[in-house]
Amino acid sequence: MQLFGLPWSTLLPLFGGMAVATAILYVLKLRRRSVPVPFAQIWDKVLRDRESSQLFSQLKRWLSFLLQLVLLAALILALGDPRRGEQASSGKNVVVLLDASLSMQATDVAPTRLEAAKAAAKRFVRGLGSDDRAVVVQMDMLPSALSTLTGEPSELESAIDRVRAVDTAADLGRALAFAEDTLQGLPNPEVVLLSDGALTLPNSAPRFPVRRIPVGVSDVNVAITEFTARRYPLDKSRVEVFLEVTNTNDTPAEVELTLLGDGNVIDRSRLQLAASERLPRFFTDISGANRRLEARIQLRGKRDALPADDRGYALMPERRRARVLVVSKGNTYLEAALLLDEYLDVTYIEPASYTPTAGRFDVVIFDNVAFALPSDASSALYLNPPAEGAPVKLGKAIEGFGFDRWNKKHPVLRFLALGDVQVARGHAFSPEKTDEVIGESDAGPILVSGSRAGHSFLTLGFDPRDSDFVLRPAWPLFILGAIDTFVAEETGYLSSYRTGTAFRIPAPSGAETAELTTPRGNTVTVPIKEGRASYFGDQAGYYRLRVSGADPSEHEFAANLADAEESRIKPRAELDIAGKKTSIAVAGTPGVRRRLWAYLLLAVVVVSCVEWWTYHRRVTV
Amino acid sequence: MNLLDRLRRPAPHKPSQKSLDLFDDEFQRKLEMLAIVSRRVFTGRMRAERRSKKKGSGVEFADHRDYVPGDDFRYVDWNVYQRFGRLLVRLYEEEEDLSIYFLIDASASMAFGDGRKFDQARRLCAALAYVGLANLDRVTIAAVSDQVVSRMPTTRGKGRIFKAFQFLSELKPGGHTNLGEALNTFVAQHKRRGLAVLISDLYDPQGFEHGINELRFNKFEPYVLNVFDPRDAQPQLKGDLRLYDCESGEEREVTVTDALLRKMEQALLEYRQGIEHFCTSRQVPYFSAQVDTPFEEVVLDLFRRGGFLR
Repeated sequence: MQLFGLPWSTLLPLFGGMAVATAILYVLKLRRRSVPVPFAQIWDKVLRDRESSQLFSQLKRWLSFLLQLVLLAALILALGDPRRGEQASSGKNVVVLLDASLSMQATDVAPTRLEAAKAAAKRFVRGLGSDDRAVVVQMDMLPSALSTLTGEPSELESAIDRVRAVDTAADLGRALAFAEDTLQGLPNPEVVLLSDGALTLPNSAPRFPVRRIPVGVSDVNVAITEFTARRYPLDKSRVEVFLEVTNTNDTPAEVELTLLGDGNVIDRSRLQLAASERLPRFFTDISGANRRLEARIQLRGKRDALPADDRGYALMPERRRARVLVVSKGNTYLEAALLLDEYLDVTYIEPASYTPTAGRFDVVIFDNVAFALPSDASSALYLNPPAEGAPVKLGKAIEGFGFDRWNKKHPVLRFLALGDVQVARGHAFSPEKTDEVIGESDAGPILVSGSRAGHSFLTLGFDPRDSDFVLRPAWPLFILGAIDTFVAEETGYLSSYRTGTAFRIPAPSGAETAELTTPRGNTVTVPIKEGRASYFGDQAGYYRLRVSGADPSEHEFAANLADAEESRIKPRAELDIAGKKTSIAVAGTPGVRRRLWAYLLLAVVVVSCVEWWTYHRRVTV
Repeated sequence: MNLLDRLRRPAPHKPSQKSLDLFDDEFQRKLEMLAIVSRRVFTGRMRAERRSKKKGSGVEFADHRDYVPGDDFRYVDWNVYQRFGRLLVRLYEEEEDLSIYFLIDASASMAFGDGRKFDQARRLCAALAYVGLANLDRVTIAAVSDQVVSRMPTTRGKGRIFKAFQFLSELKPGGHTNLGEALNTFVAQHKRRGLAVLISDLYDPQGFEHGINELRFNKFEPYVLNVFDPRDAQPQLKGDLRLYDCESGEEREVTVTDALLRKMEQALLEYRQGIEHFCTSRQVPYFSAQVDTPFEEVVLDLFRRGGFLR
């Protein structure tokens, strides 16, 4: 006999205490109620007849007390979950992988594939043997265990009920790795996979037997597999949209595509897709969308089995006029570049009339001068700053140089061709350690970004007019890109994130956490590190990030699945994992559990019923 | 038994104090038609409607006797003198009153439960007292337990019935039952013999026989009205109980079962049969008056059929 529940060291004191309590209650029960009678002598004759059976009555009382102690002992022993020694290691250990990916939201099996899989999983766990143990794992991009490794069907069923659908693909490789870690060293390991087979398959074969319970019957589905949008840099009222529609069927399909801007229909068209075709579409000069952009497709003539991937979401950066202060004695090239963006509110002043309290500006451009920033200004662009007032210490004077290396991934320099810029004269910088050199010649850094006293800056080490930089298309893009970067309106703005990945959302670097509201309305707290809030997104739709504290802000973003493989919902008849075939699992028949504690409890119930009956029939009293 | 147990005992029943407006006018008229039957002839005290042993100035001829000087000439039977030449005086039966004693048990057992036995006993006593008073008998009511608790002075005439009512309504049951002791005292206090109607449940630990024998041996004519509550035989009890006598407080630890209750009912039946057997074998009229039986039925039907009233 081996205990798998409470140990003897706990059970024995527990039994002792409960036995004492039972004895006290028994004695209290024996206290008789006083009742008056009109003539006690009448009872004497009756009682004389009973005196002969008094001894038997006493014996029955003791038997009753002993019976209660036996009941107590059985109950306490049941807490210990006793089993025979050989039963301890003979059961199977099963990891139940329940696919919760987007394809499991298909409605070809009523109500959904996921619900059908959950029902099948419940049938499976009910059919587990008394010595089998299982753990329920939700399988999507990241596997997550929803129960402990237990043989208790009710706990497993409760865990199955907690599985929820997500808008991501499912990574079988990660799930199998998790299962292998869980089953490491346990006897009779086994993995049971409940899935439609629309999975990201691993390259290595599993070490444990994998059995499968297939789900799903239909493959009729069309999906939006790409959806991005951006504003035109020079006309931010208009939007360019890239969209890809995929027909995952083996037959042609006709799809109606609807674009909505801020909830209003702004475009509707019909697309003809060949069998298994991925059809990319650009929509240019779209107007009418200020913030939210949504695409919807509807399959014509057939029933789409997976409506969840028929929508795409995008969010445009917020449009607002950037206030720019230019401190210059006059620079035609600079003024020309600033004229290209109608969303700039530019103020020009002479250096002589500049004061640090000039007003609230987003960006200050110092042209061949360098002063202290206005207190309300957030950032500054220095063009050929003098030694006094420059944010970065000037190095040696250099001549006849150009951009020999530059950071092509920096938001300001992205998409710029600077390799053939020729500069007559200028200065190299001696940046501090915290500064970032984003452009340099062989003679030293000539373009540096950084931050001073909470104000970000960008400084160029030469006068643009002493170069051919101002004659190139890169010049206005550099100026506008710098301003956009300062006002946090990146040219590389992401109109939507991809579900099943870690979102890294820009957030004020001063805060440590933020509140994120998901498309389903749940609010979670996410950490902020290095100016980015991190969250593993598994739902498509619009999110809202709210940062409170000294620098409160609110930010919206969108997320889409956009995974053509996940949208291929055709159930797989056979599933080979790295060449290893999987077999079909058959749910067992729910049977009587062979655990001893169950029989102990059953015995307690039966004996209690007998005792109750005999007590009220006055047999044992 | 400790104090706590005593405190847990239910309070004894207090009989209702409402006036004994026991019967309406019609029933009262029916009562006036009745009379208590006395099988023996007792010496009366005043002239009344009962035949007595005395020869006197009644209207019923009784006998002749020889004339002695001083007899009233009006009673000389001249016809006999003319035929036989002897002077004989006619004698007539004297009619006197009868002493009726109502002995009502006022022990605590009579008030057991909701006091229905005591109420029934008081009603019976009142009705019979009215019958006696209406027949110009001398009625005395005494409440007894282990002694003569209280006593209504002897009275006659139906106008005194309200005095009897007041006495009965003011009675409060309590104390132990010892009819032998109580009736011994009673017979010592009442020299004039007559009918003694004992109204009791006869739950006497010393034996009901003693009380009845006291009356018999002292030349009273006892009548026994055994007031009985069926709920005494069928108590609503179940389980492990400590039973205590409502008078003496004696305790019995009992586990009451259905079988025990059946035995209890049988034992009580045998007890009552024992009383009846005792009475009938000694020619003492015995009546059982159940509290469930309507009071009018007991008086007008049961007592008449039993020869107690005519």
